[in-house]
Amino acid sequence: MFAALIPELLKSLQFPKFMTWEETNFKFGRPLRAITALLGDKVIPVTLGGIKSGREVHGHPVLAKKPVALKDISKHAGILRQGLVLADPVERREYLLKALAQAAKPAHGISDPDEELIDETTFMVEHPVPVLGKLRDEHMVLPHALLKLVMKKQLKFFPVVSTEGVLRPNFIGVRDGLSSGNELVREGYQRVLEARFNDAAFFVGRDSSSTLESKLGQLERVTYQKALGSMSAKAARVAEIAQFIGAKLRQTSPVDETALARAAKLAYADLVTDVVKEFPELQGHMGGVYARKDGESEKVSLAVEQFYYPIAAKTPVPTTAEGCVLSLAGKLDSLAGCFAAGLIPSGSADPFALRRQALGAIRILLEKQLPIDLEEAMKHALSIQPVKSPEPAKLEAQLSDFVWGRAQSFFEDMKYAVDEVRSIKHGALKDLPNAFRRLAALKAVRRDPAFEPLAAAFKRASNILKQNKGDGSSPERALLKEPAELELYDALVSAEGAANDRIVQGDFEGGLKSLVGVKPHLDKFFDGVMVMVEDESLKRQRLALLSKLVRAFRRVADLSEIQASAS
Amino acid sequence: MLTFQEIVLELQNFWSKEGCAIVHPYDLEKGAGTFNPATFFGALTAAPARYAYIEPSRRPADGRYGDNPNRLGKYYQFQVIMKPVPAGITDTYQKSLKAIGLDPKKHDLRWIEDDWESPTLGASGVGWEVWLDGMEITQFTYFQQMGSMPLSPVSVELTYGLERIAMYLQKKDNVYDLDYGGGLTYGDIHKPQEREFSRYNFETADVALLSRHFNEWEKEGERLAGLGDPLPAYDCVVRASHLFNTLEARGAISVTERAQYIGRIRGLARKVMELYIESRTPKAEAVK
Repeated sequence: MFAALIPELLKSLQFPKFMTWEETNFKFGRPLRAITALLGDKVIPVTLGGIKSGREVHGHPVLAKKPVALKDISKHAGILRQGLVLADPVERREYLLKALAQAAKPAHGISDPDEELIDETTFMVEHPVPVLGKLRDEHMVLPHALLKLVMKKQLKFFPVVSTEGVLRPNFIGVRDGLSSGNELVREGYQRVLEARFNDAAFFVGRDSSSTLESKLGQLERVTYQKALGSMSAKAARVAEIAQFIGAKLRQTSPVDETALARAAKLAYADLVTDVVKEFPELQGHMGGVYARKDGESEKVSLAVEQFYYPIAAKTPVPTTAEGCVLSLAGKLDSLAGCFAAGLIPSGSADPFALRRQALGAIRILLEKQLPIDLEEAMKHALSIQPVKSPEPAKLEAQLSDFVWGRAQSFFEDMKYAVDEVRSIKHGALKDLPNAFRRLAALKAVRRDPAFEPLAAAFKRASNILKQNKGDGSSPERALLKEPAELELYDALVSAEGAANDRIVQGDFEGGLKSLVGVKPHLDKFFDGVMVMVEDESLKRQRLALLSKLVRAFRRVADLSEIQASAS
Repeated sequence: MLTFQEIVLELQNFWSKEGCAIVHPYDLEKGAGTFNPATFFGALTAAPARYAYIEPSRRPADGRYGDNPNRLGKYYQFQVIMKPVPAGITDTYQKSLKAIGLDPKKHDLRWIEDDWESPTLGASGVGWEVWLDGMEITQFTYFQQMGSMPLSPVSVELTYGLERIAMYLQKKDNVYDLDYGGGLTYGDIHKPQEREFSRYNFETADVALLSRHFNEWEKEGERLAGLGDPLPAYDCVVRASHLFNTLEARGAISVTERAQYIGRIRGLARKVMELYIESRTPKAEAVK
């Protein structure tokens, strides 16, 4: 049975890419050179990819001596360990981490806790042996982000850092196999690293021979996207959008518009530097480094450095207001430009990383509490694109929906329920920090047992309005007559007043709670009052009363979106 | 300590003993040893192939005017191609390192996953970079496709980076300081070339002339392919490819044009390949 199962199992393994290497054209991730297949102490006969199974175990490809014949399967891991192969990846990872910590001690630091590099190293070696090496003083003056990147990306070395994350003049390379003769390996590691650093120093030197500003002309020859023109044209649009947002913020949270304009001008200049051409990951960072060297102010340099922030889902947003506005402008231009050019992400295809850019914009607004009207800003960004849509309103709506979609999943990732997020959609993109406060309030108030029944009554009210096209006019108390409707009117007026007092202070939870207080009055209203009566004027008054109710709640949330929880 | 030329000689000896024909460089400018017809055509059909050779590789965009100690616009590759793939190929490779004075047991030898692709040849392969103490010294590739067609049987291609190996062996930080042999340094022979060709490739190459030549060699390749002789048609592919590389280094090709150029070379390469396979496959029905 196993003789048939083993080939099936091997054939069913999935790889990102398959290959063939021998005459039977068996497909696998890498060439298969041996199959060790035992049941207890008996060989299970398997033939696959031109090889026959046996009891031989192959250790480390360079260091292990001849293959060892396995008596029975229980000895497998032990024999491999003797052959300098730690077969279990969990064991290998732990072994690596311990060895790294040990190796970093003499350098008074820790190995850079880069999870990706740790995982990669775990699967790159069979028996990890760290080797501590030194950096030369003359290289320590290079930008540390560049040094770290060269070490990690080009050489898979672990930088040694202080507990605060500051680079120490050491690195750890992880050798596969033995620790004997480490001196020679260390020498080799250092020589290779120095060559790479010399290369980097050469690039930094060339980049530094002229200012960032003097490189701006070269951006004209770098295409952003065919329909959207050069990077130079993009830079001009970003500056324009940044200025637009900066002006809007004058009343609420003013930014240094002069510094913002300067940073916008320089934001893309580092794309034509040798270092960024070689290491695209350092875009922005090198711009900041070179801006400081050119004598730009710290405010300008930092905004340039953090132009692409947040770089990933968990990394920080820009620290300064100018940096935030600039970063936002860059993202809005990419979004607007690509939408205008018809490059709208579909399925998994998102070549311009628009989802990430939209999420970045959302995070900046939320984390920095910036009351920027995204809809207005996106409309402006669309209006200055070189490609014009025949139906601008449709395109604006499409872009809004896209960005709202990202906001929705961002909130859902924070464990807000789908219906809660939906209920705050109205006006959310006009003020995202506010929308988030409304959402938090809704979630908190939802725990109140009166809430969901209220939501059901609310839904009934909005359905009646929808069916009868309530015109949104205000009710007049003098024209109402039943006690239950007068009671609801009075309760609503006082709840609205109380809610308003809270909401203007930013207390949406308190505001919503005040509104929830109308619940018994609303119940009574539905129990005792017919809305759809013959008397046209009375009917209109009652519709207006419901409309007042719905409007009052919508300042926080549209409760008709709320789904009753399963009990 | 081996000189640069001794490293080449040792590798030639080693692979000669392993049964390879030492076919020497092919006399056209090219970006990589893979363009040598021994490899390009050798990998295509079912016929066994075992070749080894040194090949100068021109990468116009990598030139640094002779100023950079590690980058060259023209350097040497030592190339081995074997089909079918010997089962012990990684062991044999390790022995070849020993032959040039690098004992894998004393160093950190690692195979780093790195798949290879040549968009101009429509070729791709699965393989590794081989790192010696952190330095990439060899590219190890199992060819899977040529001209966008799957290959069977597959070939293995080994490409040694000779300058890097020599720098390691001779403990030199600057490629131009390498002991070449014959009492010369690598710089004595190559520095003037690097300087002048960097100027040519980046500054003075006649763009109009290069573009015209590209078009002409493409046309000539089509014509020759139509006449049924794949080998001279292939020379046109190699020429067009180098002209493209030079145009690109000269900054004369935009991003969209780039894709078009590559597509044109790949199209011609594919025609040549199909023609080669057709002309070299014995026709079974013709026997009777």
